[in-house]
Amino acid sequence: MKSNKQISLSFDRGTLLLTNVVRKELPDIVASSVWRWDSRVGAWRCDAIHYAAIRKALVERFGAHFSDNVMEPACISWPKVDLPRLRPEQTKALAAWKQADSRGQIIMPTGTGKTEVALAAMARTKTATLVVAPVRDLMYQWHRRILQAFDYDAGIVGDSLANIKPITVTTYDSAYIHMAKMGAGFGLLVFDEEHHLPGKCRREAAILSTAAMRLGLTATPQRSDGLHKDLDWLIGPVVYDMPFKQAEGSMLANFDVVRIPVALNDNEQATYDQCSRVIRHFITSRRKEQSGYSWQDLCKESGKEPQARNAQKAYYLKQSIENRAAEKLRVLEDVFRLHKGQQILVFAGSNIMAIDVSRHFLVPTILSHTRKRERLAVLDGFAKSKFEVLVANRVLDEGIDVPEAKVAVIIGGQGSTRQAKQRLGRVLRKSGNARATLYEVVCENTKEVQRSRKRRKSDAYERTIHRGV
Amino acid sequence: MLTSEQSIVEFKAGRAIPDRLTRSIHRHYTEYAEKMLYVYRNGIGQQRRRLHRQIQSLFADEPDCPVRRIQAFCKLLDDKSTFQSDPEGKAAKLRLQVFAEAGRFHPLVKQTDRLFEHDEKRIKAQLADKLSLTWDQIEQSLYSDVIAFQRLKQFEGLLNASALLSRYNVAQLQACLYRAESMTVIANDDLKTILRYAKLARLLHEIVRLGPAKYRIVFSGPASVLRETRRYGVNLAKFLPALLACKGWKMTASVKTPWKQPAKLILSEKDGFTSHLPSPDEFDSALEESFAKKFGPKRKGWRLIREGEILHEHQKTFVPDFTFRHEDGVQVLLEIVGFWTPEYLAHRRETLQQFRHHNILIAVPEKSLREGATVGKNVLAYKTALRLTPLMEALERIRAENATTAGSNL
Repeated sequence: MKSNKQISLSFDRGTLLLTNVVRKELPDIVASSVWRWDSRVGAWRCDAIHYAAIRKALVERFGAHFSDNVMEPACISWPKVDLPRLRPEQTKALAAWKQADSRGQIIMPTGTGKTEVALAAMARTKTATLVVAPVRDLMYQWHRRILQAFDYDAGIVGDSLANIKPITVTTYDSAYIHMAKMGAGFGLLVFDEEHHLPGKCRREAAILSTAAMRLGLTATPQRSDGLHKDLDWLIGPVVYDMPFKQAEGSMLANFDVVRIPVALNDNEQATYDQCSRVIRHFITSRRKEQSGYSWQDLCKESGKEPQARNAQKAYYLKQSIENRAAEKLRVLEDVFRLHKGQQILVFAGSNIMAIDVSRHFLVPTILSHTRKRERLAVLDGFAKSKFEVLVANRVLDEGIDVPEAKVAVIIGGQGSTRQAKQRLGRVLRKSGNARATLYEVVCENTKEVQRSRKRRKSDAYERTIHRGV
Repeated sequence: MLTSEQSIVEFKAGRAIPDRLTRSIHRHYTEYAEKMLYVYRNGIGQQRRRLHRQIQSLFADEPDCPVRRIQAFCKLLDDKSTFQSDPEGKAAKLRLQVFAEAGRFHPLVKQTDRLFEHDEKRIKAQLADKLSLTWDQIEQSLYSDVIAFQRLKQFEGLLNASALLSRYNVAQLQACLYRAESMTVIANDDLKTILRYAKLARLLHEIVRLGPAKYRIVFSGPASVLRETRRYGVNLAKFLPALLACKGWKMTASVKTPWKQPAKLILSEKDGFTSHLPSPDEFDSALEESFAKKFGPKRKGWRLIREGEILHEHQKTFVPDFTFRHEDGVQVLLEIVGFWTPEYLAHRRETLQQFRHHNILIAVPEKSLREGATVGKNVLAYKTALRLTPLMEALERIRAENATTAGSNL
C-alpha cells in the first residue's frame, strides 16, 4: 500500500530524514535496520553514511514518488592537470580501488607515493572532494599538492579557518566538528593516514557524510585497540596492500640505526635520582597498605594529598630532564660536525626542547603552530640547503614531505612502533646510493633506554649499531 | 569554557559529581581567588608561561588542590585576557632572518678547531651587531609568538574573587556535560527562555506534559536517536548557563564515565549555581508582572493563568505568556511581544498556522509595527502597556467565534 504523498529524503546535520514512509516500506540495506523513528521531528532517521545505498533502493522502489532533497556534490572540471605518471604499483592500487566501487583502503609504505594515487583518483572522479589529514601541517601540504596538481586553491577547514569549497582540506579533529554541517557536500572523501579515523569520536567524520566514494591511505593500518577493523565499513575494504619489506631497497634506501647513549650531568642526575626516590618512596609506602597501588591511583589521589602531588610532579620533572638533557645538545653538535654538508632532521621530544635546539644552534623549527608562510620558507630553505638542519617536535612524524635528508636524529619521543616506522620513512627517501643514518640519542639509566628497545622491535630496525661516544 | 583536560569529575554510585568549591569547605579559596586576580591584574607584559607558574606557586602548600583545578583557573583567567599575538608574524620574520644569517656559519660550536671555527657565542654577538640589537633582545623576540611565551596585553578581569569562583564552578559543570549524551529538564517556569536558549544552542527537544504547568523536556541532537553520541555535549554545555539563570527547574544529564559506565549529573535550581547571564527577559517579565496585577485573578468570567501550557508539535513550540480560561471552557493564549522584526513575524505566522486549532492572541507594541504591516485579527497593538478594554473585547470576540464554529460543526 503506497501513500500518495511524496516520499522525501533530506540531509539533517549528518543524518538523513525520510518522510511519508511506513515502517514496512523502509528500504534496508544491511542486515539490521539502520532506521530509527524520530518522534521529535516526525520522520525516519539514519546515518548519512548509508546514503548511496538508500538512494538506490528508494529510487527502485518508489520511482517518481520519491524526491531526493539531499544536496548533490558539485562536479569539478580540471582544465589543467599536472600529475606525474603513476608507477606500476600506484596504477595497480588505483585500479583496485576503482574495481571496488571506489570505496576502499590502499596500504603503501611511507615514501611510495600515496598522495599521487589520491590526486589521480581526484583527477578521475571529478567530484567535490574532502581530504582529511591528521595534523595542520599535513593539511597545508595537501593544499599545496592540490595547487600544484590542479592549479586549484582548495578550501581549508581547520587552524581556525572554515572556508568550505568543492575541494577542501581539513584535519580529523575539524572534520569531526564540521562534518554535520558539510557532510552532504562531497562525493569523495580521502582519509590520509586513515588509522586516525576509527577513534570513538573521529569516526563520525565518515559516518556523518553522504559521500559515495571513499579512499583511505596509510602505511600502518593497525591500531593497538583493534578498531582498524571498522575501517572496512567506514571507508571500505583493503583493496591494495604493499608490505613494508617489499618497499625497502626498491624505493627506499638502506639505512643504519645508531644508538648514542648520553649521561645526565651531575646536576641533572642528582635531581633525577631525587625524583626517583620521591616516587619510589611514596609508592612503596602506599603499597604497604594497598598492594596493587598504581600510577592511576596516585593521579587520583594527587588532588587531596600533597605528597601524591609531589610524586606526580617528580615524574614529570624526570621526563623533562630526559627530554632536555644538556648532554643531548653536545651530542647534536658532534653529529652536526660529522655530517657537515648533509641535510639533517632532528626530532625533539617536546616543543620546548625543539626551541632549545633552535636557539642554541640557530636552526629553523617546524612546530605545530608554525604558520603556513614560515613553514613554506623553512621547507624551501631546507630543500635548497640554505638550512642544513631542520628541527621538529613530533609534528613531522607522519607523511609530511620533507625534502631529502640522509641523516635524522631522534632526541626524544614516544616508543610506539608506528611512530618509529613513520620516522624512518622520513630519512629513507631514496636519493643516490648513499645509506641513510638514523641516530637515537638516549639518556642512560633512564626510561628512555627502555623506549628505545621497544622501538627497535619493529622490523624496520633490523640492523642496529650501538656506538658509544 | 574549559577543555576536557581541565575537567574534574568524581563518579560515585552512578552519579557524576563535578568539582565544586563551596563556602563551607573552600572558604580559604576566596583569598586564593583574590591573589590570582592580583597576579593577572599586575601581570601586564608578562609571558603566559610565567603567569601560569605564578598561579601554580600560589597553591604550592595547599593540600586540597588537584593540578587540573589550577590549570582550569589559568584557562578561565586567560579567557578574560588579551595576549600579544603578533598577527604580522614579526617573530617569524626575525627567525628566518637570523637562521638564514646563521646558516652560513653552521655548525655553531662550543669548542672551535681547525675544521669548525664558528664559535657559538662569537657568531651570536656578531649577528646581533648586524641587526643592531643585543643578543638578549633577539633571544627574547625569537619565539615570542609561541603561545606559552606570549605576553599579557590586557586583563578584562572579573568582578571579584567570588565571581571567579562561581565561574569556576559553572565551568566544571559545563566540562562535565562534554561527556553528556542527553539532558532531561523538568520545568514549570521560564519555559520560554529554556526553549529559546536550547534552540540557540542547536539542540532538539522532546516535550512531555507532566501536569498543570509542568513539563519534561529532553534535549539532544539529531544523531542521538541513532546511537549513543557525545557529539552534542558541547551544545548542552553552552546551553547550561541559560538554564542556571532560570527559575523552577530540575535537570538530569546522562553522561559516560571514562570507563564507559553510565552516570547521571543531577542539578536543580536549589543547588545555587550562579550564572553569568541575567535572569530571563527582564523587560518582558516586568511587563507581564504589571499586567497580571492589573487583571487580577478573575475578571468577567475569565481567569488568568501564567505560563499555563506549551503548544508543541515536533520542533515548533508556542509558549504563551498568559492563558485565559473562561468559565464555559474557552481558552485563549496570549503572547506579549516586546519587539517585532519581519523575520520574527514570518516565523510567528508559521507557528500560528501550525497551531491554528488553538485560540492565540499576540500583543505587539504599536511603534514596532512597520508601515503597511497588516494587523491580523489575532494581533493586539498596544502603546506603552497592554490595556484591559481592548483585550477583553478580543477575548469576547474569540469566545463568540468559537461558539459559532461549534454551532456550525453540529
